[in-house]
Amino acid sequence: MIKIPPYLQKGDTIGLVCPAGFMPVEKVSECIRVINEEWGFTIKVGTTIGQQYHYFSGTDEERLDDFQHMLDDENVKAILCARGGYGFSRIIDKMDFTNFKKNPKWIIGFSDVTILHSHIYRNYSISTLHAPMANAFNEDGFKNEFVQSLWHVLQGKKIKYQCKKHEFNRKGEGIGELVGGNLSLLAHLVGTESDIKTKGRILFIEDVGEYLYNIDRMMYQLKRSGKLDKLAGLIVGGFTDMKDTEKPFGQTVYEIIRDAVAEYDYPVCFDFPVSHGKENYALKIGVGYKLKVGKSKVTLEE
Amino acid sequence: MKRKSFIQSSIGALTASYLPALPKIQPIEDEALFVSPAFLKVGDIIGITAPAGYITTGEIRSAVQKMESWGYKIQVGETIDKRDFTFGGTDEERTKDFQKMLDDPKIKAIMCARGGYGVVRIIDKLNWEKFKAKPKWIIGFSDVTVFHSHLNKNFGIASIHSKMCNSFPDDWSLAEPIQIETIDSIQLALSGKKMKYNATPNPQNKSGTADGVLIGGNLKMLETLAGTKSDINTAGKILFVEDTGEYMYSVDRMFWNLKRTGKLSQLKGLIVGGFKIKVDEDSDDFGRTLQDVVLEKVKAYHYPVCFDFPVGHQKNNYALKCGVKHRLNVSSDDVILKEIY
Repeated sequence: MIKIPPYLQKGDTIGLVCPAGFMPVEKVSECIRVINEEWGFTIKVGTTIGQQYHYFSGTDEERLDDFQHMLDDENVKAILCARGGYGFSRIIDKMDFTNFKKNPKWIIGFSDVTILHSHIYRNYSISTLHAPMANAFNEDGFKNEFVQSLWHVLQGKKIKYQCKKHEFNRKGEGIGELVGGNLSLLAHLVGTESDIKTKGRILFIEDVGEYLYNIDRMMYQLKRSGKLDKLAGLIVGGFTDMKDTEKPFGQTVYEIIRDAVAEYDYPVCFDFPVSHGKENYALKIGVGYKLKVGKSKVTLEE
Repeated sequence: MKRKSFIQSSIGALTASYLPALPKIQPIEDEALFVSPAFLKVGDIIGITAPAGYITTGEIRSAVQKMESWGYKIQVGETIDKRDFTFGGTDEERTKDFQKMLDDPKIKAIMCARGGYGVVRIIDKLNWEKFKAKPKWIIGFSDVTVFHSHLNKNFGIASIHSKMCNSFPDDWSLAEPIQIETIDSIQLALSGKKMKYNATPNPQNKSGTADGVLIGGNLKMLETLAGTKSDINTAGKILFVEDTGEYMYSVDRMFWNLKRTGKLSQLKGLIVGGFKIKVDEDSDDFGRTLQDVVLEKVKAYHYPVCFDFPVGHQKNNYALKCGVKHRLNVSSDDVILKEIY
């Protein structure tokens, strides 16, 4: 049974860390302001915010220490990753989840944070939050429904998400625990101790900046490793800034994914608002959802 | 041929559900169960097919002539000149052509004309029964790593990791000696010569001697085969890896994948071939060299490791026999890899 960390009360503390790529302070300041002033929580700024070690926001040890500190600090009720990039692969096996298992708290982020979502769900059955990160707050972004959905979910409000129909959608209804994240990372985790479990579950995928042939190859990997045949449903999010080779691949990214799951009969929806773009609803990993793909609309609700 | 069986170590039997931090244990395979296809004799037929990217008759001409000059006959498959966008024909056409070559008893070796992308789309459609009963050499690299892995994992049948038709120069008079030598190494491997290779010692090599079955190929392909039925078992083996066009962070992530899927802990030796690292103008400074990236993953192990081995997307890419037992000898002043009996 999935464990749900306690929802947040006014005044609760959210730890803000930068566990992967470097992020300058000025890009985080609006997120801090909004969470402190508009949302009524208290931000505890981690040592990795604004810190830089080459590409990263600190050495492996510094990033690990900062995150570990937030995991172990009982006053911190949620941990928001300021950005993704690349870095969790390097520290995941050094993280100590002993205290976190006893006192679960919300871990928030997407992209590289998919590693944590997958790892925690697989090994500890604790729900985490796939949601916008610090950059999404900038340029009035905090006012949009996607960043707002993070606020609502943190307060324990149940949201019924809706999105428009897509010509490739496969109609139907599926109920199951929600898993997923960034396709490249889900593929990268196959065969490891953080490998995602998909059987009987609703899977969502999104990606950014990948070559089309690589998307195809990753879909084949998921398929050949048995991740796609027993799904309760598939949610295909945004695949932004896709690249093609000089010799064109000949299919769009949605055609690639549609064909990869053509032989199964669970519901599939495309262009769901989960992505590296602005459209990115807060989704609770591991929580039971109902996906309804209908003629005119798609709904996803707890 | 007998189905390959495994010798399971006593620790290996306990793999089921571990705490995440513990390394995965792979079963040790019995080296005696690896078999090599028959070597080629003058007059034998080599089939050329395009299981991945598309290629034209003109682009394979030089390879056809060269292999004929070695005394072999060439059978050109139906996928040459076929094109379905990036592929050498549709999945069905590529499967059919490859299947025909697998099943034709007169064909003694199958040379993949080029790599690109596509083998993973047809591998599960192929029927291996006749091939298993009478193995033949499958030749190529890059995307063809899928075949090497699949054969090693499922059948214990050796294959040749080497240059393909698109690497044979049109004008041999302009070819560098190393190009000619590496192409000639395909003939040496096919004809049954016991291979021996030298690499320039890199100061960051880790010395030692190792005996084991050689396996490997393109690192990205090895990563994307993880968890599938073509996923290699590396325990007790010598692993070689190469890649091209990847960013350093991606190379780092792929080596983490090897480590976290348990492919590094039980190796006998590690051979790092060519890695062309992609850099773009606003690329982030990763702060680590290829050597740093590799060595930190194998710090805890004591097997030999060498860099700059002549295998990869480069001119010095020698023919290597996957699935055949080799000895790797790394010392401060030399690196030798040779087939052992």
